[in-house]
Amino acid sequence: MTRCALLAAGVGLALLASACTNDPYPEQDSGRRIFYTTFGEPPKTLDPQVAYSTSDHLVLSNAYETLLEYHFLKRPYTLIPGLAREVPEPRRLPDGRVAYRFRLLEGVRYHDDPSFGLAGAGRTTREMRADDVVFGIQRIADAAVNSPVIGNFEKIVGLRAFSRRLDELRSDAAFAAQRIDAQYTAAGGVEGLRILGPHEFEVVLEESYPQILYWFAMPFTSPVPWEAVAWYDGEGGRHHFAEVAVGTGPFRLVRYDKRSRIVMERNPAWYGIEHPEWKAPGATYPREGEPQDREAGRLDPAYVGRPLPFLERIEFRLEKESIPAFTKFLQGYYDASGIIKESFDRVIREDALSPEMAALGMQLERSVTPGVYYLGFNMTDPVVGTPAGERGRKLRQAMSLAVDAREFLRIFLNGRGIPAHSPLPPGLFGHDPDYENPWRSLELARARELLAQAGYARGLDPDTGQPLRLTFDTADTSAAGRLRYQFFVDAWKRIGIDVEIAATNYNQFREKVRNGSYQLFMWGWIADYPDPENFLFLLWSPMGQTASGGPNTANFSDPDYDALFLQMKNRVNDARRLEIIRVMQGILERERPWIELFHPEDYALYHAWVRNVKPMGLPVPTLKYRDVDPERRAELREAWNRPVRWPAYALGAMALGLFLPAVRTFLRERQ
Amino acid sequence: MLAYLLRRTLYGLVTVLGVLLFLFVLFFLYATPEDVARRALGEKAPPEVIQRWLVNHGYDKPRFWNAERPLDTMLVEHFRRMLTFDFGRSDADDVPIKKRLGEGVLPSLALTVPLFAMGLLISMALSLLVAFFRETYIDRTGVILCVLAMSVSILIYILGGQYLIGKLLRWFPISGFDASPAVITRFLALPWLVGLLNGVGSDVRFYRTVFVEETSRDYVRTARAKGAGDARIMVHHVLRNALIPILTNVVVAIPFLFTGSILLESFFGIPGLGSITVDAINANDFATLRVMVYIGALLFIAGQILTDVAYTLVDPRVRLE
Amino acid sequence: MEPHVWSNGVVAALVLGALTVGLAVRRSRVWREAARDLVRRRPLALGIVALFALVAGLDSVAWVGGAGASGPERGDFVALHKPRSAVDRLFPVDFQERSYSAPLASREFYGDAPLRYPRRHLLGTDILGRDVLHLTLKGTRVAFLIGGLTGLIVIPLALLFGVSAGYFGGRWDDFVFFLMSTLASMPSLLLLIALIMALGRGPLQVCVALGVTSWVGFCRVTRGETLKLRELDYVQAARALGVSEPRIILRHVLPNLTHLVVITFVLLFSGLVLSEAILSWLGIGIDGSWGQMIDQARDELSREPVIWWNLGAASLALFGLILTVNVVGDAVRDILDPRTLRERL
Repeated sequence: MTRCALLAAGVGLALLASACTNDPYPEQDSGRRIFYTTFGEPPKTLDPQVAYSTSDHLVLSNAYETLLEYHFLKRPYTLIPGLAREVPEPRRLPDGRVAYRFRLLEGVRYHDDPSFGLAGAGRTTREMRADDVVFGIQRIADAAVNSPVIGNFEKIVGLRAFSRRLDELRSDAAFAAQRIDAQYTAAGGVEGLRILGPHEFEVVLEESYPQILYWFAMPFTSPVPWEAVAWYDGEGGRHHFAEVAVGTGPFRLVRYDKRSRIVMERNPAWYGIEHPEWKAPGATYPREGEPQDREAGRLDPAYVGRPLPFLERIEFRLEKESIPAFTKFLQGYYDASGIIKESFDRVIREDALSPEMAALGMQLERSVTPGVYYLGFNMTDPVVGTPAGERGRKLRQAMSLAVDAREFLRIFLNGRGIPAHSPLPPGLFGHDPDYENPWRSLELARARELLAQAGYARGLDPDTGQPLRLTFDTADTSAAGRLRYQFFVDAWKRIGIDVEIAATNYNQFREKVRNGSYQLFMWGWIADYPDPENFLFLLWSPMGQTASGGPNTANFSDPDYDALFLQMKNRVNDARRLEIIRVMQGILERERPWIELFHPEDYALYHAWVRNVKPMGLPVPTLKYRDVDPERRAELREAWNRPVRWPAYALGAMALGLFLPAVRTFLRERQ
Repeated sequence: MLAYLLRRTLYGLVTVLGVLLFLFVLFFLYATPEDVARRALGEKAPPEVIQRWLVNHGYDKPRFWNAERPLDTMLVEHFRRMLTFDFGRSDADDVPIKKRLGEGVLPSLALTVPLFAMGLLISMALSLLVAFFRETYIDRTGVILCVLAMSVSILIYILGGQYLIGKLLRWFPISGFDASPAVITRFLALPWLVGLLNGVGSDVRFYRTVFVEETSRDYVRTARAKGAGDARIMVHHVLRNALIPILTNVVVAIPFLFTGSILLESFFGIPGLGSITVDAINANDFATLRVMVYIGALLFIAGQILTDVAYTLVDPRVRLE
Repeated sequence: MEPHVWSNGVVAALVLGALTVGLAVRRSRVWREAARDLVRRRPLALGIVALFALVAGLDSVAWVGGAGASGPERGDFVALHKPRSAVDRLFPVDFQERSYSAPLASREFYGDAPLRYPRRHLLGTDILGRDVLHLTLKGTRVAFLIGGLTGLIVIPLALLFGVSAGYFGGRWDDFVFFLMSTLASMPSLLLLIALIMALGRGPLQVCVALGVTSWVGFCRVTRGETLKLRELDYVQAARALGVSEPRIILRHVLPNLTHLVVITFVLLFSGLVLSEAILSWLGIGIDGSWGQMIDQARDELSREPVIWWNLGAASLALFGLILTVNVVGDAVRDILDPRTLRERL
């Protein structure tokens, strides 16, 4: 028994000793061109017509391709052809409709996949055709697919009608049992999607809608083979379509373990690799960019004009907690990382890399994310909202004057972000860098004065004689969240308003939102595409949260604003549009449904061995442009990760010292 | 014995039914299915999509009573599905729950089984040692260390372990998991260490009491009178007789090896059943959560029956009737 | 009623209760001896626990007013109208900086701005500039709330169910046993989480959930003990003499369970406080607890230079309380009952 235990303990110790390294990767991978990165939450779905979150796009945008893409280096964002041969021009039809004609690349093939056996025994792939693009857009209209963007495509002639017809026909079980592509054909297709040839089709819109081209740069419109959709139905041991990626992209999914590890490998049959002579814009490293790209080494002659991609493999590892992830980045085990706020002062000094980090060869990339964070008032609330009339407006203005966004950024985000004065982030049409919102500076004296005018002198509610009590509702119950909200509570204390944080679970929060029984909340919005319409619609009354479940969580409703929004919505970016936006901005300035906080700024860090990095801000693929230098990486990792062993020896010696006298007694007794 | 086991199992079944009823009341009465759907589909989902989701997940039925078809209610459906192990799909991402459980079992077992074995071995060895040297400085130091170790929150162990061993000393990866045999131990080393530290204090203290009590029995005196050495008495007599109270403690814990460790798994990023549970909590995924509680209850009941059987094997005096 | 009035009432009731218990202990010889024994054996640990209890008690007595005016620019107009506890009154009303400062520092930790209260923050300040010593002291009340309130929920329930089931047996016993095995068979952490998710967040809810999960072990012990007591000669005799059943329970059964109640309560206490720390990490703990402070502080370990005083203060306070309660609990168990409760609760 004792011997057995000793043996087991010995084996255990030996195992531990052999495991004594912090390298998370197998040795044989160290010399390969693998890009190691992280994902914070598992993708919800890889279905390109459904996926809407950054974590989804992180993976699937490498496997599925879009007809249009954004230029890797040029800013402001510029569309370039992807699977399309050129960016199409709108063509006005006599009946007021607008058509876009897409011509697709020929000879583009899908990833090898068993589902293509449906098209013919033994087949593992096939060519991508125009009807695949149409099939994809039809899927958006298919209610069973649950696509979140069906509303954004309803300008396509006949899309809604198709959706309804399909739904009606589906109630017939015999129809619903047919293969998916047969169902779509039987439902008559979408009138505004005309297939003109195997590699050519036309999209017809009811009216002018220039933003449609941006949607063709998002995975929603990616071509999808019907075979994969039909095959991966989640039955009989087959995966669900949301769990696979059968696209045409430069990387294919080889391992999808979304709770820990996702691996993508270079697709040797990608058109860019098979046909470098095409010099397709989406498959070639760009020759031109912004002036600073040359300085940053992004126009290195070693890469310019070369066919993509450079990486052999991409390894995504799940890292839910930011601290361990950043530690591993600093140890060299991840190639890229955001900067967590806790380590910011170590990494950044005076807006540049700290000498310590620069000595490690680290590269820093900053970019403003097209998004906005804000505090919102529920405008249907009797105290803070429209029903309170002028009093409510003054109260909102006073509260806006008490919140110091710059201080918030300093404390919680290390100043990473730009204080916001309007919903529109920098880089978007309509953003005015010189605009100063008169209610978005810290002016406590003025705030107190306004509060007195609103009937709350020194913050006291005349009805109770006590400080005015408001609630701040949130579904974030984390300790970190609590600190953030406490910041605002402390801010409003200074003008005498007593705000209580009501952190409830998601269901209770939803219920409050549905009933309209909430007063204050904090929310953020990241752009789907770079157009002001994508921000200003957040305050359009038909999007009201309580009434319609839309993203207008402030329930803001102003007839002038609504009318102006409709005028602005589908206009091209001209002077008139700018003028309308200014007027809308003025309404928001006065009415204060939001207290605009900041536009987030992204700081990304890359190790010395990573090449061709330019932050995009939009969820589009950039990994095909990226490269790493594995030899340099292996050297540096080795140098950074020598374990410190002496404490183990010291601990062992201590334990031994403790037991030795007793063991001696024991031995003596035994004799 | 067979009759006894049968009766025990039947009683276990009744308990399972109680657990299921409790779960139903808890989960279905407070969250409206619409909210769960919205959480799963996102704020932007249109109403028709939500309705379809509700139908797909069986949340569109009446809860307790359906006048037309009395059996077509969520309550009946809940019992039917749980009892037939037809767990359905996750509320959060539509993955079949059974598949997810299958993926989580191995990482969990890889964490918990060695941890359990090492913990048992180490705390038995330490407590034997401490009991052997009872009333000496080793015993006193040992007991003090145990109480100290017990009084530290596991959160501190985890944070301290990650900071000290992972970050400063660089012995092991600070977190993460990879099931390939070449690298799996280096990921598990740190969670094992933390788990051992957290559990060993109370275990040693408990086993020590058992051993010390056992050494005061008559047969120990007899053995000593016969001239058996202290060490021999400890291993051959005391350990063997102390097995019964220890068994209660140990066998009951075995089934829970399958459910993993919620804290260790989520802090160290091990994709086992424990972190599936935490994800389910954070995502309001009741379908998964209720399955986890249900399985936990099943395993617990199995563990108790197992303990009874183990008794008869260890102690011939015990007969199950 | 305002919450602070309520809380003051609870404190008053607790103090009264403690006094009654003290008097009862003095009157009974057995208990007096036991108490004396405890003080003799573990004076230090007992003293520390008493100190923690004092802080918790002081923090529960709150009243409005007496704050004085605070400066117009950073002043806190709300605090003037809010009840402040005796512990709060040890510190100035606006004892807050803009952000982190180290213990006894005179300047901010990041950036070099001078503090409003230089060298006054004994344990530094947290990210919002709040005094860490103040927060840590306030955490004591939460810890005692968790232990005490849960105990108040658990003990009467467990006695009611355990004694009645053990004494009367039959169908009722079957039902109680079924209830116990149902609750016991669910993984306790999961059950706890599920209960809190269903009940909602809040101190009372957390205590109720903790009560439901820890009730079973206690109930099982009382039931078993009652079963034994029922068969004892003097209980049988009392029954044969026609003494009414409530009277038997009150006079003969309950008094013999008191030591169990005391031991269980002390042993339960530390486990409950530790559980709350885990709940805090899951985001469903009680606001202001040490667990929440630890959770807020854990990211700070990777700040550079490291911010240690938040995590240090909260975990030391947690450790100190748990350790001393454990030590006292062991002593109490040794004194009152060496055998019955050997199996862990």
